[in-house]
Amino acid sequence: MSFTALLLTATVGLPLAMLLACLWQPLRERMLPWLALGAVPGLAAAFLSVRGELLVLGSARFPLAFALDRPGAVLLGVAALLWLAGGWYAAEYQRQAPDRGRFAVCWLMTLSGCLGIFVAADMVSVYLLLALLSVGTTGLVLQTGTPPALRAGAIYIGMALLAESLLLVGFVLIVNSAPGNTLLVADAPAAIVASPWRDAIFALLIAGFGIKVGLVPLHFWIPLAHGAAPVPASALLSGAVVKASVIGLIRFLPLDHSPWAAGAALAAVGLFGALYAVAVGVTQRHPKTVLAYSSVSQLGVIVAIIGMGMASGDPNAGLIAAFYASNHVLSKGALFMAVGVVSATGSRRLWTIMLPAAVLAVGLGGLPLSGGALTKAVAKEVLGDGPSGALATLSAIGTTLLMLHFLRRLRAFAAEDPAATASCGLRRPWLLMAVASLVVPWALFLLSPRYSLPDALAPYALWAALWPIAVGGALAYLLARWQRLPELPEGDVVVALERAGLALSAMAGAACVRLDGALRQWPLASVALLGLALAFAVATLAGR
Amino acid sequence: MSVAESTFYGLCAAALVGIGLYGLIVNPQPLRKILSFNLVGSGVFLIFGVVARRGAALGMGGDPVPQALVITGIVVAFSATALAVALVVRLHETTGAATLMPADAGEPPTP
Amino acid sequence: MNTLPTLLPEATSAGGYLLVLALVLPFVGVLAALTLGGRHARAVAMLALPLGLVLSLAIVVEAVRSGQTLVYLLGGWAPPLGIALRADGLSAVMLLTTAVILLAVACFAHADFAAPAAGGEARRPFMFWTLLLAMWGSLNTVFLAGDLFTLYVALELLGFAGVPLVCLEERPETLQAALRYLLFALIGSVLYMLGAVLLYGAYGTLDIARLATLVRPEPAAFAAAALMTVGLLAKTALFPLHLWLPPAHAGAPAAASAVLSALTVKGSFFLVIRLWLDVMPGIVTPAAGQLLAACGAAAIFVGNVVALRQKRLKLLIAYSTVAQIGYLFLMFPLAAGLSALQLPTAPAVTGGMLQAISHATAKAAMFMGAGLIYSTLGHDRIADLRGVGRQLPMTMLAFALGGVALIGLPPSGGFMAKWLLLAAALTTGQWWWVVVLVLGGLLTSFYVFIVLVRAMAAVDVPLTPKIVVPRHREAVVLALAGLSFLLGCVALLPLDVVQIGRPALLPAGLQ
Repeated sequence: MSFTALLLTATVGLPLAMLLACLWQPLRERMLPWLALGAVPGLAAAFLSVRGELLVLGSARFPLAFALDRPGAVLLGVAALLWLAGGWYAAEYQRQAPDRGRFAVCWLMTLSGCLGIFVAADMVSVYLLLALLSVGTTGLVLQTGTPPALRAGAIYIGMALLAESLLLVGFVLIVNSAPGNTLLVADAPAAIVASPWRDAIFALLIAGFGIKVGLVPLHFWIPLAHGAAPVPASALLSGAVVKASVIGLIRFLPLDHSPWAAGAALAAVGLFGALYAVAVGVTQRHPKTVLAYSSVSQLGVIVAIIGMGMASGDPNAGLIAAFYASNHVLSKGALFMAVGVVSATGSRRLWTIMLPAAVLAVGLGGLPLSGGALTKAVAKEVLGDGPSGALATLSAIGTTLLMLHFLRRLRAFAAEDPAATASCGLRRPWLLMAVASLVVPWALFLLSPRYSLPDALAPYALWAALWPIAVGGALAYLLARWQRLPELPEGDVVVALERAGLALSAMAGAACVRLDGALRQWPLASVALLGLALAFAVATLAGR
Repeated sequence: MSVAESTFYGLCAAALVGIGLYGLIVNPQPLRKILSFNLVGSGVFLIFGVVARRGAALGMGGDPVPQALVITGIVVAFSATALAVALVVRLHETTGAATLMPADAGEPPTP
Repeated sequence: MNTLPTLLPEATSAGGYLLVLALVLPFVGVLAALTLGGRHARAVAMLALPLGLVLSLAIVVEAVRSGQTLVYLLGGWAPPLGIALRADGLSAVMLLTTAVILLAVACFAHADFAAPAAGGEARRPFMFWTLLLAMWGSLNTVFLAGDLFTLYVALELLGFAGVPLVCLEERPETLQAALRYLLFALIGSVLYMLGAVLLYGAYGTLDIARLATLVRPEPAAFAAAALMTVGLLAKTALFPLHLWLPPAHAGAPAAASAVLSALTVKGSFFLVIRLWLDVMPGIVTPAAGQLLAACGAAAIFVGNVVALRQKRLKLLIAYSTVAQIGYLFLMFPLAAGLSALQLPTAPAVTGGMLQAISHATAKAAMFMGAGLIYSTLGHDRIADLRGVGRQLPMTMLAFALGGVALIGLPPSGGFMAKWLLLAAALTTGQWWWVVVLVLGGLLTSFYVFIVLVRAMAAVDVPLTPKIVVPRHREAVVLALAGLSFLLGCVALLPLDVVQIGRPALLPAGLQ
């Protein structure tokens, strides 16, 4: 096995090995400080294993394959970095928690699932790792054990398993229509395009991955889950975990095939979500919930990029979407960490945290020279200047507005004691992420042969980034003066859905219990027996 | 055995099975259910007997295989009856009544 | 008919004697236990079961080596006069599953059913171990028998071993549950026998392989198919014929529930497979297949929803069995559909068998886990499980792994089964079974989630256990659950053992 292949294996293997070690209780209790280590092979693989050969394990009937394409490498690298910083942060944040062991187990499950999906190259592995990811994430959401956490966890696992079931059906359809029934993800787009079930597969993939990336209107679990989890876990869920499904969309949807109009519809849904999430987000009070809505909004833009790529048959759309997503991984991770740091910092030192946080937050809206501005400029290539480009600009204004609202809410979240300062274990990983989210997008931008420094510094580019920020800032000012927004519940539509779901389940439950009770009466059961015999006789006689 | 004869025995068997099934479904007392089961069993054995006699048409005294099977079947039915009666007796000993219908059909306490 | 393997003339195959040993060993154990009495019954069982495991492994190896059905002709007499024992891949894997689960259950029950020291009454252990051996013997007979009448006797034996296991505790409710089980099963077996008699009357043989070549679509065969199928369904407790199952499985002692839920119902299910795929594929119609699977779908829906509403853990698991039995019957229309398209039926059949084995291992582990929870807490109310996770970590892990297998997440056997069944359903265009499979998994996940969350909830004061459960009992439960969790890895094997000795295509008819 070559070194690159070894790194790919270790990306999944090391976290899994650490997870297995957790079976032994003494190790489990001591695992917390080592969580950051689990992401190291992934980080190395992102640099060294890009476009290496396909690594195949297992038998010919069910090969487990691993490989790393370029969009995958971009996302794997930033996600691994966030996992590393997040692990470091969590080691401090959860130090006093009574359930350290359980936290570590759930963390490692989520870690191996998340990083694994970036390197998985066959559908069975993807499904397996998605399932591992969902189970681990549920554990992280449930971590605090409070009633809101239980509610969020229940809704999360229900949605996640629904998404996976849809994806499973989609995968089986893809395999059934692929020549030679290949399980490789790389062959999926071609198989989808040629499949007689093309539209069904597309719908299943969009619904499945759409739930997982929080595509409006399937987004309602995100604010609940990301709000309920402990801060380091929220940072990872909002930053890294949802990107595992973004890479799924990038790899499965036929981006470098002939243009397919369904992509435009997907883009429309994504952009609608991007604006809708801003509108709901500004009514939220908790900074983590505001960030979660911002994630829904940003993921809407990412889905729109992928959709437009599909509509125009742009082979670069995948890499551009990954680039856009990578900025979101870093910034959103850092901002979530900031929430934890701020809550432990008093008013005296608050500006040392708030200032970088403000740069990052406004950067997400596209502050000139920030990663956000770079990614938005590159995304313009796919989104174009038509309606989708205009809507994307509108979403940049919205994001600025939402992030300024977040900063206001964040400041109110500071510790009561003016002299309090966050411990090093929280500040240093936060700082690492803050620096990374400023530097890494530039590095990725300049690494690409298609772009150069003057492109980014051109006055036109700076102006294109600046004016949405200015408009957003003005809107935020007006909003702060106006002060009359209703406060929508976290997860907006979830309340109605939950009520309907509970009513339906109560009805179905009562009906089933009554039916079961009736059928367990002897006379009815024996009549059912004879009736069934008769039915079978009729079915064999008449059914030919 | 003539066709009419075998039809007659077949009808008898069908009647036995029918009466037995009726008892099994309708009678609430376990003991009567056990007796009904034996009626159904007898009906089935009678059909098997008719089947065995068909060998006579070929000049043989009868087909020996069904006879062997019927004997085995009777033994099995006898054991089943014994087991069921033993259960009824034990139920009567513990509760003072033997009924199949618990007051509440669900939620038995678990050990 | 050219797809059928040529069966005549038939001779005892090289490893055929293994089949006789597998049949005789459990019953020798029963006789030995009867002779030696209650004080030694446990020792007899603990001696026989590992031997049985080795034996069933040997049968699997022999089947894989020879690549065809193992046959033993009793006394060298070929059917129709003689009786043949046959073990194809289907039988071999079921023999192995049975041996593994029974051995695990025996290790688990070792402490519960010890003969009392100092000459106390040893009736309970005597009953348990003897019945366990009898259950094993009758299951092996079901898997190996080659003719419908031997199968009838085996089926009855299975019931006779299962009924007393239900009422080992001799409480009124369990006695009532046992009586209901017995009487309903008796209706089932009498219908089955009526069907067998009709077949003998029409074709003059009861040997499965011979019948398969003789059966023609005519009223006698139709009536026989309907009667036998429904009789077997009553014994398998397929919805709506499940009245006896929940109280019987929930009321029995944990080890007995595990065997009843994991294996006993699979015995009659196995016979349905034999009947539909081996004896009369030419008789049963697509409509009948759809009807059978529709009952399964109703079982999945109602069973899961009712399970969700249960307040007691053991009843929840029992209703989950009602639902999981439903999954087993989805394979029939899928196999028929594949066969109609001239495709191998392997995905549907292997999927169904994987589902059966996965459920058997997972459910045995879950029932035994529930038993441990009961002895720790003194109750099994789901609402009051808080703190059990801390007290019984291995058991809860086992419960989680078993739950994963029931939901059908990878890499469990349930996932592999779901994948194969989904593929078969989509290939044959029967998308409605896809909906059933997906919905069933989701409903299952709800109750697994509820139980796990309740049990893992943090407590301020660790609870004081009524009985401290020894670690090795937890380990047995975990091992069995781990087996079901990793069962999906059989896909990595180069060979599909289930398909040994089976025709790739079904003969015309079930199309």
